[in-house]
Amino acid sequence: MSKKPTVGPALHKVIMVGSGGVGKSALTLQFMYDEFVEDYEPTKADSYRKKVVLDGEEVQIDILDTAGQEDYAAIRDNYFRSGEGFLCVFSITDDESFQATQEFREQILRVKNDESIPFLLVGNKCDLSDKRKVPLNECQTRAQQWQVPYVETSAKTRENVDKVFFDLMREIRSRKTEDSKATSGRAKDRCKKRRLKCTLL
Amino acid sequence: MLTTLANIKHILQKELFNGSGERVLSVVTVTKTFKKKKACYLCIVTTPPPVPVVTVCIVKQSEQREGEYKKKRTWQLEEIKWVDGRNEQFETHEFDIQVEKTYKWYALNLHERQNFLAVLYKQIQKYVRAQRAEFRNVPIAWLNDKSPEKLAAGRNAEQKNIQDTDDEEEAQEFTALTDKEATELGKLFSECDFAVKDAEQLIEKLSKELHDLDGANIQSVLASEKQVFALMEHIDKAIAEADSFEKRLDSYEEILGHVKETMEKIGGKNAMIEIANNNNIKLMKELNKVISQLDLPHIHQQALDEPDLKTVGGRKAAIAAAQSLQQAMNSDIDPTLLRLEAVQDQRKRFEKWKAKFSGIVSRFMNNLFIHLGNEMGDNTTMSTELVLPNHLSVHRELTPYTELMHWTKAMDRKTYDGLTRVYTTSLSKIYERDIRNFFSLAKLQISEKLRTSREDLDTSASSKKSAISAAPYGTLGVNREQWGPGVENADRERFDSVLEKVLAELEPVALQEQMFCINFFQMDVISPTSKNTQTTLEVLEKSTDSASLLTSPTSASGGGDASGFPQKKIDRQINEEVRKLMIALFGCLEPELVSFIQSFERIDSFYSLYVLVRLTQHVMSAQDTHSFLSMTFASALVQVKRNFDRFMQQQLLSIKEAKVPKRSKCGILPYVENFEYFAQTSEGIFRKSDRRTDMEKWYLQLVNSIFESISVHAQEHPKTPSQVVRMENYHHMYSLLAQLKVPGLDAMKKEAKMRYTDALKVYVIQYFGRPLEKLNLFFEGVQQKVAQGVKETEISYQMAFSKQELRKVISQYPAREVKKGLENLYKKVEKHLCEEENLLQVVWHAMQEEFIAQYNFLEERIQKCYAGAMITLEFNIQDILNFFSDIARSH
Ligand SMILES: Nc1nc2c(ncn2[C@@H]2O[C@H](COP(=O)(O)OP(=O)(O)OP(=O)(O)O)[C@@H](O)[C@H]2O)c(=O)[nH]1
Ligand SMILES: [Mg+2]
Repeated sequence: MSKKPTVGPALHKVIMVGSGGVGKSALTLQFMYDEFVEDYEPTKADSYRKKVVLDGEEVQIDILDTAGQEDYAAIRDNYFRSGEGFLCVFSITDDESFQATQEFREQILRVKNDESIPFLLVGNKCDLSDKRKVPLNECQTRAQQWQVPYVETSAKTRENVDKVFFDLMREIRSRKTEDSKATSGRAKDRCKKRRLKCTLL
Repeated sequence: MLTTLANIKHILQKELFNGSGERVLSVVTVTKTFKKKKACYLCIVTTPPPVPVVTVCIVKQSEQREGEYKKKRTWQLEEIKWVDGRNEQFETHEFDIQVEKTYKWYALNLHERQNFLAVLYKQIQKYVRAQRAEFRNVPIAWLNDKSPEKLAAGRNAEQKNIQDTDDEEEAQEFTALTDKEATELGKLFSECDFAVKDAEQLIEKLSKELHDLDGANIQSVLASEKQVFALMEHIDKAIAEADSFEKRLDSYEEILGHVKETMEKIGGKNAMIEIANNNNIKLMKELNKVISQLDLPHIHQQALDEPDLKTVGGRKAAIAAAQSLQQAMNSDIDPTLLRLEAVQDQRKRFEKWKAKFSGIVSRFMNNLFIHLGNEMGDNTTMSTELVLPNHLSVHRELTPYTELMHWTKAMDRKTYDGLTRVYTTSLSKIYERDIRNFFSLAKLQISEKLRTSREDLDTSASSKKSAISAAPYGTLGVNREQWGPGVENADRERFDSVLEKVLAELEPVALQEQMFCINFFQMDVISPTSKNTQTTLEVLEKSTDSASLLTSPTSASGGGDASGFPQKKIDRQINEEVRKLMIALFGCLEPELVSFIQSFERIDSFYSLYVLVRLTQHVMSAQDTHSFLSMTFASALVQVKRNFDRFMQQQLLSIKEAKVPKRSKCGILPYVENFEYFAQTSEGIFRKSDRRTDMEKWYLQLVNSIFESISVHAQEHPKTPSQVVRMENYHHMYSLLAQLKVPGLDAMKKEAKMRYTDALKVYVIQYFGRPLEKLNLFFEGVQQKVAQGVKETEISYQMAFSKQELRKVISQYPAREVKKGLENLYKKVEKHLCEEENLLQVVWHAMQEEFIAQYNFLEERIQKCYAGAMITLEFNIQDILNFFSDIARSH
């Protein structure tokens, strides 16, 4: 206790992406501080860090909350690059935000150059189901197509908020252990393997 | 008019005066002058003969009922002082009558007035003997002559003229005849039927009859003379008889006078005898009282001489005897009777008994206390459980002697005080041992586990070590690596639960002992006297003093009678005495408790937070805040609070004195980093406590001090720019405060966020600087010209700002160079920023935006001022975005 271990707890870097106003900041703040803010204040870029216990192991999560509105998409390249996992958020009450996830996905894949990067498709504002614009099966179809999990959340009611962050961290973690195995061992064609695993999901 | 008069007179006679047998002589209808009131009637009335009384009265008609009249006022003729007709003219309506005051009348009818005044005058002349009323302004003719009224009346009543011989009044009215008179008259007239035709004959007949009657009358008078003589004789005899009777009465009275005198003398003697008798009875009673009160039955004497205190029966007898002695010695006897030799002899006897008995009790109790103390001291069963043994068995053992103690307190204060001392010394030894054992066991229970959980808790060695090199565990301003050894949260919680156990164990034991002592030593009763022995039998030298001592409690000195004091004061005095006793018994409790607490505070300052919360709970929940234990806890609490404040003060100081880290990146300052641990720990302790506010006050001070120190220390790092230090540390503070959610720190949270964004802005502007510096300068010049009035489209004709010049500057910024500049900037930022705070992406995002903004500005200027010249920068927005993407890819 008195001596700080030289190797700190594992650190997982998560990036929040998605159109403006879908609730990226709301999800982050709910996860971080258990609070929900009604007012909408567009984000530029905010960084958060929190210690959590993931399956009995103490880990740290870094969350980069990004702007939905960006004049030039290339500006995002840098932080996509730094991310280890992505929560791609849209609002189920806003079809355009759902369509925009396609672009985000493509840019991330291009920057990360990795088909199997830890990634969750998140349909937020599920508490507003009466204003739903994006049918559930469409969301599920897209997630299947991408071979990523789809989760609906509400930053307002906290439904599934912890789940999306923890699920993503788990993916990041298993991805890391695999990588370390890969670097120490042989398997170089991890992309194929990953793909295989994802289909099983 | 006459008829009216006659009518009124008739009506009044009939309605009002017939009832009383009075007769109306005259009536005048009047109103009071000046007053428009209903008319009333002024009447002259006479009572019937033989003693006619003439009065004047006012009669009013009832307002409610028409035919009803009422007499309002009546005056005797003598009351009338004067009558004023005002004027001798007949046509005068007014007239005044002076009675007790002047009445001013207005007669409605002049004839009535005249008649009334005339009749009144005549009646006064006739009946008033002394001062007769004076008549003014009334025609003399009315008063002397026959008034016209009269004459008229005379004419009207020819028939009655015959009777009207002597009395004028008779004639002037038609008298209502009584029934008898009417029949008589009827008879007379029927006999003299002829008279209607021949008055002469009638007169003759009447005169003759009158003659006859006179004659008869004289004859009867003469015949009665003899009888009168006889009557006179009788009267003489009766007078003589009365005289002799009177004489006899006088002699009786004389005799009675003697008797009365004697009776009075006898009565006086009787009273004296009664007083003497009463006094004797009283004396008897008093003596009886004295004797019965001062009598101590033989069995009691025996019980006092040789008491058996060991057995229940013996004890009972001894207590009864002792109490009876106490009662006798406090008999209610008049102070003067105390001087009786017999009483004083008895008192001396009592004193002897008392002294002897008290000595026996003292020895006995003394031995008992010591014995019990030793007995308890012998059975040293060291338990491994953390319990403080109670001594109910001792209490149980002593309870039967309670009354003897009370007796001793009243009758032999010195012995009582001595016994109390013996008790406390015997018992305090036991309690001291118990408490020491108890606390050392508590210490052991905490530290034993400390030892197993921590490798290096050789307290003395580690404290030495920490004294040299390490700061106390948890010091905010010092890097965590340099903290001395501390304890884990689990240890702290164990300490807290042991502390709770300790406090909970102390309470019942102390309370039981206190209750026992109050009862056993009768501490809730304040002795009414300061003397060693409570007795009323002593003859005091200064009798006034004794009287005041016994009768007026308020003036009593020292520990005098308590009833005169307010209850609060008494309570305080009792509390004070109980506490003194408890301190004697539990002398070691407070130092032991404090040392127990301190021994742990020395290891870890956070213990003082736990103690503060726990002890506060116990102090607050105590019902009797003045009890010994509450006071002890409270005083320990004061010390703990002092320690707590000192700990916080040290924290404050350590923040101010903190050193900037020597590493190449400043990163998070130690106190900012440590604040998380500190705040989480103290929140865990204070979250639900009453003491929260104490902590919140310190939070505010600490956070304020942290903010101040960040700004100061930001200037001190050799490599990291101050804005980066500020940005990262305020960002960290914001995040901590947002997670902590202490309501009192909400404003500080917002402040932290503001300071963080400010620092970010300043840093981006300062360090991003201007990678296209010369272009910027060029266009600043352009802007100046524009400001001087040069048209934007004509700028290119200015020498310094010709297209040629612009091209020259632009050529200094080929795409390659720009890219290199951006890459260098990214590297620099990377070097400044620390890994922990993860702000690189945030900063870089801001810088990218800033660069694009500058590029856009330049492009826009070129378009405006050099339109059509086909001049552009040597890189376009797409190039920039590619640079950004490349930089991203290369990391
Ligand atoms: N009812 C409901 N409202 C939500 C939910 N999530 C966010 N909102 C609201 O939606 C608005 C936008 O939320 P933000 O979290 O600021 O959106 P954002 O995605 O961060 O937007 P940018 O920062 O501009 O990219 C706010 O007014 C939120 O209160 C949700 O789950 N349910
Ligand atoms: Mg946002």
